[in-house]
Amino acid sequence: MILRAEWLKLCTVRGWMAGLAAVPLIMVALGVLFASGSTMSCMDGTREVDCPAPPADSSGRSVQDRLTFVNRELDGDGSITAKVGGLDGTITYPPPNHDEIVRGVVPWAKAGLMIKDGTGPGADYAAVMLTGTHGVRMQSAFTRDKAGPPLREAWLRLTRHGDEITGYVSDNGADYQKIDSVRLDGLPATARIGLFVTSPSGYTVDERAEGGHAVSARWTQATAEFSRISPGGAWTDSLVGYSDYRTTWEQTHPPGYTESGGVITVAGSGEIGPDSENGLAIERTLTGAFAALLPLLVVAALCGSAEFRHGMIRTTLAAIPRPLRLSAAKAAVIGAAALVTGLVAVAVTMPVTVGMLRSHAVVVLAAPWPTVLRVAIGTAVLLSLAALFAYGLASLLRRAVPAIVITTVLVLAPPILAATSVLPATAGVWLLRLTPGAAFAIQQSLPSYPQASRPQTVLDGYYPLSPWAGLGVLALYALAALTAATWRLHRDMTPSSQPAASSERGATSERGASSERGNPSERAASSEGGVRPRGSLRQDSA
Amino acid sequence: MPLGFALLLTAGGVMLGRGGIDAVQLRLLGVRLGQAAVAAAGVQILAGEYGTGLIRATLIVVPRRWSVLVAKAGLLTAGVVPVAVVGVGVAVIGLPLSDALLRAAGESVLHLILVGLLGLGVAAAVRSSAAAMGIVLGLLYLAPMLLWMLPDPDWGRFLYRLTPATAVQALTTTVDDAGLPLGPWAALGVVAAWTVGALGMGAVLFQRRNA
Amino acid sequence: MATIEVNGLRKRYGAAVALDGMTFTVRPGHVTGFVGPNGAGKSTTLRTIIGLDRPDAGTAIIGGRRYAELAHPMRHCGALLDPHALHPARSGRNHLLWLAASQGLPARRADEVLGLTGLADAGRRAAGGYSLGMRQRLGVAAALLGDPPVLLLDEPFNGLDPAGIVWMRGLLRDLAAEGRSVLVSSHLMSELQDMAGHVVVAGHGRVIADAGVDDLIGEYASLEAAYLELTAGVGGIR
Repeated sequence: MILRAEWLKLCTVRGWMAGLAAVPLIMVALGVLFASGSTMSCMDGTREVDCPAPPADSSGRSVQDRLTFVNRELDGDGSITAKVGGLDGTITYPPPNHDEIVRGVVPWAKAGLMIKDGTGPGADYAAVMLTGTHGVRMQSAFTRDKAGPPLREAWLRLTRHGDEITGYVSDNGADYQKIDSVRLDGLPATARIGLFVTSPSGYTVDERAEGGHAVSARWTQATAEFSRISPGGAWTDSLVGYSDYRTTWEQTHPPGYTESGGVITVAGSGEIGPDSENGLAIERTLTGAFAALLPLLVVAALCGSAEFRHGMIRTTLAAIPRPLRLSAAKAAVIGAAALVTGLVAVAVTMPVTVGMLRSHAVVVLAAPWPTVLRVAIGTAVLLSLAALFAYGLASLLRRAVPAIVITTVLVLAPPILAATSVLPATAGVWLLRLTPGAAFAIQQSLPSYPQASRPQTVLDGYYPLSPWAGLGVLALYALAALTAATWRLHRDMTPSSQPAASSERGATSERGASSERGNPSERAASSEGGVRPRGSLRQDSA
Repeated sequence: MPLGFALLLTAGGVMLGRGGIDAVQLRLLGVRLGQAAVAAAGVQILAGEYGTGLIRATLIVVPRRWSVLVAKAGLLTAGVVPVAVVGVGVAVIGLPLSDALLRAAGESVLHLILVGLLGLGVAAAVRSSAAAMGIVLGLLYLAPMLLWMLPDPDWGRFLYRLTPATAVQALTTTVDDAGLPLGPWAALGVVAAWTVGALGMGAVLFQRRNA
Repeated sequence: MATIEVNGLRKRYGAAVALDGMTFTVRPGHVTGFVGPNGAGKSTTLRTIIGLDRPDAGTAIIGGRRYAELAHPMRHCGALLDPHALHPARSGRNHLLWLAASQGLPARRADEVLGLTGLADAGRRAAGGYSLGMRQRLGVAAALLGDPPVLLLDEPFNGLDPAGIVWMRGLLRDLAAEGRSVLVSSHLMSELQDMAGHVVVAGHGRVIADAGVDDLIGEYASLEAAYLELTAGVGGIR
C-alpha cells in the first residue's frame, strides 16, 4: 500500500519517467554505436582474414590452448615419468633495441608432462611442468595453478587413477613428492598422455605520458629435453591449436620433436590459459552503463530531495506517519525501478550488440553462462544500488545537486580515472577498492589469474576486487546513505530524549505554569470588570 | 558549500606525491574532480533561487535580468578565484618551480573559473538545478568517453578536441605534449568557447522566459 | 463521535516557547474556530496533532488515539496545513491518487473529491501551475479523501476568490453538520462568526478563551471585538 503510493509518486512526475526511460535508451544507443563501429581482422601470414573464434574449454570459456604435445594413448589408469631439463628458447626482437632475435626463455615458458582429453584445443587437461622462472608447477583447467619446488631440472611424474590426476616431482629420480591432485570429471577411459612444450609471448609494458600504458608482445619459442621417459615409445606428434602459418624462425626451427639417444627434444610456442586478447570481452557491449548512470543518478537524487522541497515531506508524513516504513518503501520503489530499467537495458543491449558484432566478424569472447548472467544481472544491480546511493544521499542532505556531484565523483570517476589517467597503478587500485566505483568489477567477465603472462592491471580492465565484493562495496555505501537519511528523518520526528534537555524542559514548564496562573487573572483585572475569566467561559460552552 | 568541497578536491592532489612520469599532471588530478564541485557552485548560485522561488524576489528587486546574470557571474568568479588559487597552489606545493608548472597551475585556475561560469550559463538556460548539473557533468566526464566509442575514430578524435574535458588533460600536462589532441592554450580556448556559448544561451533564455 | 483532545501541549524551539500548556477539545457537529495572533502557537498545535511536531509534553488525541498510531490516518483525520506542500510537476489528480493509494482507498475517491472541490477540469494539469486558491481546493480535496470524521484546516480562506470563500464556508458548515469535528484556524473573524459554532482563542502558546461563538457575540457584540479584547496585550511573536 505504501509501496503503491510511492510508486505512484515516482511515475507521476514526467521528468523522472523521462530520465528513467533515458537509461535503456542511452545504453542501447551507445552499445549499437560501439558495435556498428567495431571491426576486427586477423593476419594469416600475409593474408587478411576474418578472425577465428578462439577455442572454448568445457565450461564454455574462450581459452588459448596452443602447445606441442608429443603423446600416445593411455587406456584406463596409468602414469608417465620423465626427467625434464634443458629448458631453452628464443625471443624475437626484445627491448631495448628490438633489432635481434635472442636466446632465452620467458618466465612462463612451460615444459613437462600432460594428460589431456584428446588433442583438440580447449580439451580438459592436467599437467606438471618446469617453467622459465617460476619453478615446477602443476596446472589444470586453464586457471588452476599449484607451485612446486623452484627447480631448473627435475624428474616429473603424472599418474591417473580414475578421474584423479596427481603430479609428483623429484630432484633425484628416487624420492617423489606430491605437488597437487586434481579431478578431471568426465575424462574418458581413453585419454592422451605425453610430453609438452609451449612458450607464451614476451610482454613489455610502456607507460604513456597521456595516461594508460601500451602493452607490446613478441613471439617466442621454447625447447626442452626429456629423458629417462617411462614408459616410453610409440609417440605421436600433435601441434595443438597451431595454425598453418609459420614464423620465419619456425620455418627453420619447426615445432615438434626430435629424438636422439633416448633424449626427446620438444619445441613449441603458445599459451595455455583464458583468452583475453583474441576478441572483445562481453562486458564491452555494456560500456554505455557509465553514461546511462548519469540520468539515473539525477532522477534518484531528485526523488530523494523532492520530498524536502515545498514542504512536500509534511504531506507525505501526514499520510504515512511512520518514517522507517516510509524510507524503506521509497528505497524499495526506487531500487526496483532502477533494477527493472537496468534489466531492460541489458536484456536489449547485450543480444543486439553481440549479434551486430558477430555479423561484422568481430569475435566476442565466450564466457560460461553463469558468468554472462552475472555480468548482465550484476550490471542491472549496479544501476539499482547506485540509484539507491544517490537517493539516500539526496534525502540525507535534502538537496539534489550535492548528491549528484558526490555520487558521480564517487561512482563514475574512479573507474574512468583508473582506466585512463595518469594515476599511478597503486592509487588506481586503492580507488577501486575503497570507492563505490569498485562495483564495476561485477562487469568483468575475464578471470584474473596469477600465472598469466599478459599484464592484468586496472589499466587492462582487471578490477582489484572480486565481482561480488566490488558490488558489495557499493551496496555498503548505499546502505550507509539510506540508514543515515532514515535516521535523520526519524530524529526530526521524535523528541530528543537526552536527560540534560529534559531537565531543562522541566524548568521551562514550571516557569510556564506559573505565568499561566498569573497572567490571565491580571489581565482580567486590568481589563474591564465584565470579562469573565477563561475558566467560566469554558463552563458555559460545555 | 560546493566551493569548500572544490577546495578539498583540488588541493587533495597534494597527497599524490611525486610519482609518475608527469608529477605536475598527477598533482593537478584534483582539478578534474574539483571542477565538478565548482560547476555545482555555478549551477546553484542561480538554479538554487529557482528551487526556492527566491528568483522572483531577486527579479523584483533587480528587474533588469542582464544585470542579475552579470552580478551572479561576478559573485561566482569572486568566490571561485580564491578557492582555485589556494586549491591549485596547495596541490603543487613543493614541486620544483618551472615555466611549465606555472603555466599549468595558472591555466588550471582559469579553467576552474570558466567551468563555474559554464555551470551558471547552463543553469540559466535550463532553470532546474539537477538537470543543469546532469548536463554539465555529462559534458565534463562522459562526453570524452562516449566519443571514443564513435565508429569513426578520426571523427571521435576531432570531436574530442571540442569537448571541455580535453582541456584539463591538455593544460595540466607538462611533459610530452605531442601525444595530446590539443595544445594547452587552445584547449583553454575550447572551454572558454563553451562557457561563452552557455552564458549567451542562458542569458537569452533567461531574458525571455517567465521566472 | 470522534473528537480532538489537545491536553497540556508544551513545545519549545531553542529559547522560544511555542506551546505552553495548550489544552482544548474539538467536538463534532459544529465548526470550531482556532484564532490568535501570529506566533500564538496555532500552526504548531495543528502540526503536533498530525504528528509532524512532537511535543515536549502533553498529548493530542484524535478519536481516542494518537495520529501516528493510526494505520490509515487520513481516514480518521484530514488536514490542510500547507497548500504548497506538493510536487509542482505532479498533476492534482495524481497527487490525490498517491495519497489514496497510501490510505488503501480506491482511485475513484480522488475523482470524487476533485468534483467536490471544483477541480474536476484542472485535476489533470501540473499542480505547479495552480493559483493559491486552486491549491487550497486541492488541499481540501486531499483532506476529504479518506472521508474522515475529523478535519483540520489551517487558513483555508487564504487566496480564495469571493466565490471560493462562499463555497468554502458552505462546505465547512455542511461537513460539520454531517457530524464531523472541524477545526479551522483563521484570521478572518467575520468568516468564523458566520460559520463557527465555537472558538478557541490562543495566545502565548496556550488557550486564552474557549467559548461558543454566540456567547462571545453576546458579550462583545462581534467576534472581532471579542478577539481584539481578549488578545489585547498578548504579543504575537515573542
